[in-house]
Amino acid sequence: MKRDKHRFLLLVLVPCFSAVFIFLVLPIIGTFLISFMEYNPLRNENTFVGLSNYARMLQDRSFFKAMGNTLLFTFCAVAINIVLALAMATAISQFESNRTRSFFRMMVFLPCIAPMVASAVVWLRSLYEPRGGMFNALRRAFGLEGISWVGDARYLMISVIIFTLWADIGYNVILFSAGIDGIPGDLYDSAKLDGAGRWQLFRNITLPLLGRTTTFILLMTLTSYFQMFAQFQIFAPKEGPQQSGLVMTGYIYKQAFVVKEMGYAAAISMALFVVILIVSAVQQRLGRVDWEY
Amino acid sequence: MDVKAKKKFYQREGFRVRLILFLVMVIVSLIIVIPYVWMLSNSFKPTKETLVDASHLLPKNPTLDGYRKVLFDSPFFSWLRNSLIITVSDTLIILFTSTILGYLFSRFEFRGRRFLFMMLLFTMMVPAQVTMITKFILIDRIGLYDNLLALIIPAVVSAFGVYLCKQYCDEIPRELLESARIDGAGNFQIYFHIVIPQIRPAIGSLAIFTFLEIWNDYLNPLLYLSSTGKQTLPLALSFFSSQHQTDLSATMAASALIMIPTSIVFIVFQKQFIKGIAMTGMKG
Repeated sequence: MKRDKHRFLLLVLVPCFSAVFIFLVLPIIGTFLISFMEYNPLRNENTFVGLSNYARMLQDRSFFKAMGNTLLFTFCAVAINIVLALAMATAISQFESNRTRSFFRMMVFLPCIAPMVASAVVWLRSLYEPRGGMFNALRRAFGLEGISWVGDARYLMISVIIFTLWADIGYNVILFSAGIDGIPGDLYDSAKLDGAGRWQLFRNITLPLLGRTTTFILLMTLTSYFQMFAQFQIFAPKEGPQQSGLVMTGYIYKQAFVVKEMGYAAAISMALFVVILIVSAVQQRLGRVDWEY
Repeated sequence: MDVKAKKKFYQREGFRVRLILFLVMVIVSLIIVIPYVWMLSNSFKPTKETLVDASHLLPKNPTLDGYRKVLFDSPFFSWLRNSLIITVSDTLIILFTSTILGYLFSRFEFRGRRFLFMMLLFTMMVPAQVTMITKFILIDRIGLYDNLLALIIPAVVSAFGVYLCKQYCDEIPRELLESARIDGAGNFQIYFHIVIPQIRPAIGSLAIFTFLEIWNDYLNPLLYLSSTGKQTLPLALSFFSSQHQTDLSATMAASALIMIPTSIVFIVFQKQFIKGIAMTGMKG
């Protein structure tokens, strides 16, 4: 019995965690080490250069531009995403028929089925097209002039955020819906009998009881938005006008695999890692995440 | 107001609110659908027509030229095969490792359990950019560069999947597992015959999440696959669209074709999907 248990544990844990160690843990350590080297994969010898990659980073304007753009994109997109997703999930939960609820949930989830590059290409050619595009047609209908949605440094980030919300919000609507469905219905019934209005129900029951769901969703969305890349490749293939579409993933990719300065790229990615850790630590402190372990 | 009057008040007021919300959601749904309708419409237009008027909804002379170009003038079927091989094998492997590890972390006591589980959850927070440089060097060294295996082997364990399945396994009644054990069932037998059927909803939603994530992945194929014949669909599409800037109908046909397999998976699993997520860690 006991031997059986040990055998089972070893048979499962050893292969699984070897993979976790080799492909997830080791690369973190590796990247950390490489960030102190001048590393080019084509060369045989790679020299240790101490902190010089980090020193170089502090004087690199493109690095700060990429970091700024990434933070701007992440905070705006995540904030709007969470608020809108919660609003939509709540709105959908108000419908009495099960059919209506699942229909709207499916609709909102629809864009998540498509690869982001495919949707981005469609948006680029339909809504964001400067001449015959739908957004500019709409602006003209209101007597405004058409604008260059992705060709103008002032609008590029806004365009990418609008697109990302459209493409990705479905996941969070579904997750919030699941959270709302998990709240016992009699809580609402008794509050209604006490004369609570809809807003009060939301404010005093839905919102506090969704606490853990929200923390979880926030954490997942933050980490994934920090890494967004595909849509920037489509909307700003050459970093966009005045580098307004340059984000961290794109910059690290370029440094590591185009310029082939992997040491420098590793230093940049460590900087991004630290930023993500700080952001999620702050968020966990505020939201008190509980993994229910 | 007595209870009955209150109920009536809520029903009447509720109807108005619901009507407004319904209209809002209908508009939201339209906004969501419009780009797809535009995509389909232009994929059936002859190239000339898309140049003159791309916003016109119905094609005047509908044609399958766009689809023909994508299917026969490009290695579309190799891309499709690559995408399918990678996505299906990754999804199956992740389903297996997630369920068995979820069961293990939920039901077994052993030294280092908490450490391993926390380590796994921590990797969820590590951005791909941090691991990609060393992972690339590693994969290059073991000779998997430009090989589909480079996308399959590193992805065998999903922290999210393990977390999800563990939540479900925690809910399995203890007696169920114990009575099987008394009947002499081994751990693998218990896993196959009791745990798997009990956590089926989790498997459904995890299958959809994983399939979508890997099918739609852009960064990993970009890193590890270089030759045209080895690429996956999302990666190929971005090349396709930049090469065929003027050929809107072909680009839109390619976009439409990419969405077919995931739509099928979604339609097949959608009932389990909603139910599965509703019972996960999302318990408020």
